[in-house]
Amino acid sequence: MTEAVRLDGITKRFPGVVANDDVTLSVERGTVHALLGENGAGKTTLMNVLYGLYEPTEGDVYVDGDGLTYDDEGAVADAPRRFDSPRDAIDAGVGMIHQHFMLVDPMTVAENITLGNEPRKWGGLAVDRAAAREAVLDLSERYGFDVEPDATIEDIGVGVQQRVEILKALYRGAEILILDEPTAVLTPQEVEDLFEVLEELTDAGKTVIFITHKLGEALEAADEVTVLRDGKNVGSVETAGTTREELAELMVGREVMLETETPPATPGAPTLTVDGVSANDERGVTAVDDVSFTVREGEVFGIAGVDGNGQSELVEVVTGLRKPTAGAVALEGTDVTDASRRARTRAGMAYIPEDRQERGLVMDFDLSENGVLGSQHDAPFAQGGRLDWTYADDHAADIIEEYDVRPPDATAEAKSLSGGNQQKFIVGREFARDPACIVASHPTRGVDIGSTEFIHDRLIDLRDEGRAVLLVSSKLDEVRGLSDRLAVMYRGRVVDVVDPDEVTEEQLGLLMAGEEPEDVPRADPVADAADATDGVAGTPPADDADAEVADD
Amino acid sequence: MSADLGDRVDALGTRGTVAAAAVLAAVLAVAGLAVTGSGDTVVAVVALLFSKSTLAAALRLSVPIAFAALGGIFAEKSGVINIGLEGLLIISAFAGVYATSITGSVWLGVVGGVVASTLLALLFAVVCIEFRADQIIAGLAIWLIALGLAPFASQVVFGSKNASAGATFPDIQQLLADTGLPVVSTALVGALDALAGVPFLGALFEASPMVYLMFVAVGASWWTLNRTSFGRWVRASGENPKALDTAGVDVTRVRYAAVLLSGVLAGVGGAALSLSLGQFVGNGPTMVNGKGFIAIVTYLLGNYNPVGALLSTMLFAGLDALQLGLQGQDVLAIPQSLVRTIPYVSVIVVLALFGRTRIPEAAGEYYESGEE
Repeated sequence: MTEAVRLDGITKRFPGVVANDDVTLSVERGTVHALLGENGAGKTTLMNVLYGLYEPTEGDVYVDGDGLTYDDEGAVADAPRRFDSPRDAIDAGVGMIHQHFMLVDPMTVAENITLGNEPRKWGGLAVDRAAAREAVLDLSERYGFDVEPDATIEDIGVGVQQRVEILKALYRGAEILILDEPTAVLTPQEVEDLFEVLEELTDAGKTVIFITHKLGEALEAADEVTVLRDGKNVGSVETAGTTREELAELMVGREVMLETETPPATPGAPTLTVDGVSANDERGVTAVDDVSFTVREGEVFGIAGVDGNGQSELVEVVTGLRKPTAGAVALEGTDVTDASRRARTRAGMAYIPEDRQERGLVMDFDLSENGVLGSQHDAPFAQGGRLDWTYADDHAADIIEEYDVRPPDATAEAKSLSGGNQQKFIVGREFARDPACIVASHPTRGVDIGSTEFIHDRLIDLRDEGRAVLLVSSKLDEVRGLSDRLAVMYRGRVVDVVDPDEVTEEQLGLLMAGEEPEDVPRADPVADAADATDGVAGTPPADDADAEVADD
Repeated sequence: MSADLGDRVDALGTRGTVAAAAVLAAVLAVAGLAVTGSGDTVVAVVALLFSKSTLAAALRLSVPIAFAALGGIFAEKSGVINIGLEGLLIISAFAGVYATSITGSVWLGVVGGVVASTLLALLFAVVCIEFRADQIIAGLAIWLIALGLAPFASQVVFGSKNASAGATFPDIQQLLADTGLPVVSTALVGALDALAGVPFLGALFEASPMVYLMFVAVGASWWTLNRTSFGRWVRASGENPKALDTAGVDVTRVRYAAVLLSGVLAGVGGAALSLSLGQFVGNGPTMVNGKGFIAIVTYLLGNYNPVGALLSTMLFAGLDALQLGLQGQDVLAIPQSLVRTIPYVSVIVVLALFGRTRIPEAAGEYYESGEE
């Protein structure tokens, strides 16, 4: 075998933390290698070492895009590399596609791809824009990418932006491509496209390493998977000879129930009623178009759809962050259409926002302070015009303990926590309000497998306690697994409300794309409020023991 | 039809916006005056507006503002908001006069102004880029340092807050005649002389050399920002420094270069201001008197486009020239102090109506490589 990359005994220590502990990794040339692990397992740190952003405390890095050479005894004959900066790594043929794209939004595709390596003319007095355009078209064609060199980054979709990032690395002569969580921001279709692109790349002799915490994707796209846990390499396996269960166990270090049993719901009276709601987005274009539904106590009502079909705006209308142009929202029979966010919280509506860093937490606040958010006007936090910090500290400590937030330190700033732990803290804070209704928008986006399992279990617990849950997610297996009824949104409208246990993935996919598949198993319609209070309403859901919980 | 019109208005972009704003502001100003005066007054104001002396004054007043604005564009496009432009103008206005008084050459005076301003800009850059100071506070400090230092130095060197350079810029015809080249000194000067006789626009052909340098600098700045590698790095550094860093370009160096360039450009502007009068005035807010802050407004109004900044500078300078002319001719029956506010009021109106500035995403933010 010919290796393109060999990391030999890499240890990276930060003050107080060992991020990588004697990791050895070998990547064969011309293959896709997945680096799998939970958040905080040290995947990104390891790749930052390979990319020259960090210097390893110990260990050697060997890189050669054409394959390493070996001496007679089979030891690596190449000299170990020492990358002091990404520039060195780029020169050695290593390119990295970061999770947050490193693109300049107002510039064009070609300008971004050539940034820092512009072809010049007139003795450097001008960028040769024709040559830049030509080079981009050339690369784009060679690997079957479909990008328009003159388009502005802010006008193109996320999937295309990612291709621009890949082209950027290829333009710099990358032979080894590192992709950090490349699928986190993509739709299922875009993920498929990406995997095809990866295949094109390896066919052309490039080597791909991608970081992920989604074991399904690692299995699908990679030839070999290396699992990191707590900074250590706990095993490398060929994807052909392994199973999801084996990988999950390696990742978490214990057996994981990938198939959770969701007991059937026993819905009661309507809790949240959305009636004929329409709303505009920031540009004044209709984003939500005459949407109506009811969420009853003791049920999870799911909303599926490709991101950007009005789900965000709908959630904002429900939670009081956006004014609807028409329609009404009622909570437990009381009209709250014009009620403020604060009034809705007091009336029993908890909210897990989709962007935890923007809306869920104040990143510069510590956990005690974050734990008060949303309750800062109310007893027992507020007493006679001042906040009771002793109570707030205890409150945060309770959340931390109950929801296993790490590090268990109420004085830690929110930004010092990993994404999964931030999310667990938000979930804990919102559930602690003792809400009648929970609006959960992408509650497990970017959250590791252990935390996801935990959050899902808690949502089901709350449902079984008789609370109403409105769940919005673009992860199909998540909404299918948790929901008792599932609405599909397309272009601002609810196109159908289906039975999540009976509907097939194909049917859902077609609904999400605005098509009308045949024989869709519809969820039973909700009876009127009057009937519901009689206690006879409700859909005894079909057997959903097979419901599969998201693996990511 | 109307959509078509809308597209065309959009296509005009920043330059069109500024031009439209200029026309509107002029109309507003004249209309406002017409309410207060008789028909004769309106005629007098319009006559003044289109007089050669007003255009000449507008060009002269534009120079320091335009240079400072160009400097501000480079700094802010790179992500460092340089509100110390006022201070850079003050220090270079004094240094220009001082260097000229020693050497006897206005051109060496300009060099002196540029050196002083660049050194002060370097201080600003070190404080902001190296020591992570808040850019707004550091910028204010730069202004206050210059505001105290320049008159103080003048007092020490010249014995007064006001100082004379003993020389001013030659006009363009003189400068060309001095080259001694037969073609230039006779034919070109003759042509300029003839063109200078044209009403109103004639002012364009007998201006100070710094006016022409201003036009060249605007064109060169536009080219640098939009057509060169360095310009792209500057823009990337202000929009997404991490993208630039990962592309292998040192963000710190780009930002230093941009801030120093703003010092050079503001230095030319400051020296041009004082040396066109041949003296430095250090009383009160000094002779710079807010021009550095006006420069910030003009480049914001011009949406960081050097050409847009020049047009909005000339709008402001034109109104300022008109205002000066009105004071001199005493045609209006309203108090002088109100007349003096015309440029400022107009700028506020224009900003409110046409302000569509896109501020660089990372402007004002400290950046350090390798920070997560």
